[in-house]
This record gives sequence, C-alpha cells and structure tokens, in this order.
Amino acid sequence: MFINSALQEINLKVVYYGPGLSGKTTNLEYIYTRLEPSMRSELVSLKTREERTLYFDFMQLELGRIKGLKPRFNLYTVPGQVYYNFSRKIILRGADGIVFVADSQRDCMGDNLDSLLDLEKNLIETSMSLQNIPWVIQYNKRDLPDIESIDTMQSKLNFFGVPHTQAVASRGVEVVSTLKMIISEVVYKIDTLVEQ
Amino acid sequence: MDTNNGKQLILSEDIYNGISKVLEELAANTRAELIIFCESNGYPILHKGSVDNLDLPIISSLAANNFSATAKIAAMLGEKDAFKFLFHEGEHTNMYLSNVGFNFVLLVIFDVEVALGIIRIYTKKAIDALTKLLSSVKEEEKKTKELFDLEFKTLLSEELSRSLKI
Repeated sequence: MFINSALQEINLKVVYYGPGLSGKTTNLEYIYTRLEPSMRSELVSLKTREERTLYFDFMQLELGRIKGLKPRFNLYTVPGQVYYNFSRKIILRGADGIVFVADSQRDCMGDNLDSLLDLEKNLIETSMSLQNIPWVIQYNKRDLPDIESIDTMQSKLNFFGVPHTQAVASRGVEVVSTLKMIISEVVYKIDTLVEQ
Repeated sequence: MDTNNGKQLILSEDIYNGISKVLEELAANTRAELIIFCESNGYPILHKGSVDNLDLPIISSLAANNFSATAKIAAMLGEKDAFKFLFHEGEHTNMYLSNVGFNFVLLVIFDVEVALGIIRIYTKKAIDALTKLLSSVKEEEKKTKELFDLEFKTLLSEELSRSLKI
C-alpha cells in the first residue's frame, strides 16, 4: 500500500495468481473492456512469442474520490508456468491482496495445488502468508465438461475458508464480482494489515 | 521501512513538495524531457515534463519492475545490493533509471544529444537530496487507520458497484 498524502491518493496492489492457463490474463482483459477509459490505464502484457505471460500483465483502476481520497488499484497477473518463479516473486512484492485463479478441470487439480503451495512459499519469503494476506479464490472454467465439483475444490484448496466465486472468465462470468470481492477483502482488512 | 511485506508507506505533503523541488532542479540542470519519480511497486508519485501521449502508470510499472528484475540478476551474481542504475540507449531517446533507497525509483528520459555524464552527475545529486528527504517517511505510519473508517469502507463499496456496474 502506498499513500500519497499530498495528492490524497491511495495505491493498492492486487495480484492474480494461479497455474498456467487458468485464466488470469483473461480476467484482466475482461475487466479492461468493462471499464470506462477514464477509469483505467492501458492494459500492458509482457508475453512470450507463444502469447503466454512472460513477466506480468498490468492495468490500473482508478475510482472517484471517496472522502477526499482517490483509490487506485494496481492489478497484476503473474506467469503461471512453473519455471517463471522469479517473476512471480517480483510481482508478489508489496501485494495487498491476491486472487487465486484455479482451473476447475478435473485433471488440473494437481497444478492448482502446486500453484497454491508455490504462492504460500513465495509469500512466506516476504514475511506474509495465506493466513494473513487478504485473498479470494476464483474457480474458473465452470462451463467446461469434465470439472471438479465445488465441494471437492473447496475441500482441497480453500483450507482457510476465504471467499470464493465460480467463474467463466472467457465470457466475463463472475470476473467483476471477483474483483469487487478482493477489493472489499483488502479494504476491510486494512486495519489488520496495519497492525502487523 | 519497505513495502515488501504488504505494509503501508505514506508520503506527507511536506516530503512531496520537497521531492517536487528536487525534480525541478534536476530537470533544469539536465534538460531532461521527462523525469518520473515512482514507488518501487510502480506507483507514480511525481513527474516533470510532458506526458501527453504517455500512460504514466504503465511506464512507472514497467520501469519499477525492470529494476526489480535486474535486482534479481544482481543477487544471482553475488551483488549485495541491487544495481544502482540502469541505462537504456535508444536512437532518439535515452533512459536512466536509478534506485532511491529501497522503496523508490527515479526515471530520467532525455535526448541522445545530452551527455550521459551530465545526467549521471545531476541524478546522483538528486538521489542524495531525495534520500535525505525520504528518510523521515516512516514517521507517517499511524495515520492510515484513521483514513479507513467504516464510512470510507462503505462508500468505497458503493463506488465500486457503481463503477463496475454490478
């Protein structure tokens, strides 16, 4: 979190995390199309030649003034592929909240778990953890045929009982509500974060 | 204080004005086209020069993350700290990126006709002045809780619903 008192701005960082091809970039792309241009920056994507996220995607969402303060949310995705862990660590730095985008397909449960454990490991390295950082889970690709039940996914991934959504990011289903959910989590837990 | 661990960093008006003066002086001494001072997560704080066709949040984010990426390389090479500066040379425009302490980045964009030595000398001077100014940033910590009272949180929720049309 960064507060510029002179300009009455508050900057918060939200990171979309999850295994490769789970739909993190698709979330940001949808949010980008949904917002008025005056409320957002451009969406920048640092991709490989194969159109996979190489470093990060980024866009800034700026809300109108609230009690004189202008909130800005800096939205990042991390590359999901296993060998880009250094990039993920860099992007996680200074995160105020995390959206974990899980792939609902049955054969992706292992990747989801690996990614969640990787997230926890990286958080611990920066003195944070899934126990104290605000985070939510988005169960994505709910429209595909061979998917895990929500109960199973909840029991395997949501061991801290954080809020969750069931999404189809490619069609924008529950994308905006996921964003609103994490922003609410971040703002409502600011007191706790400050006290740490 | 750093922002590595999710904690807050608050910049007061006095420090902000001080930074503004340092950047103005740097701009005058170097004839830089654009100077951007941002937080190390890429939050733009102040700039001098024209940003007409530029997306400031994007440039700041890319510059700050550029620095973070090379800091990792520095660590892998056995360097104790991040590289002090990065220099990128273009056909018409050059870019000089510097760390200001652990939490801030200074970005100077200048015409290739301007000697790099001039940029280096005056940027170093500006960094010293900025470091001195920013050493008192940590004293501002406790104001955060007062800003986020219940009314703020409720209004934010309403603003989000309105803006995101849900």
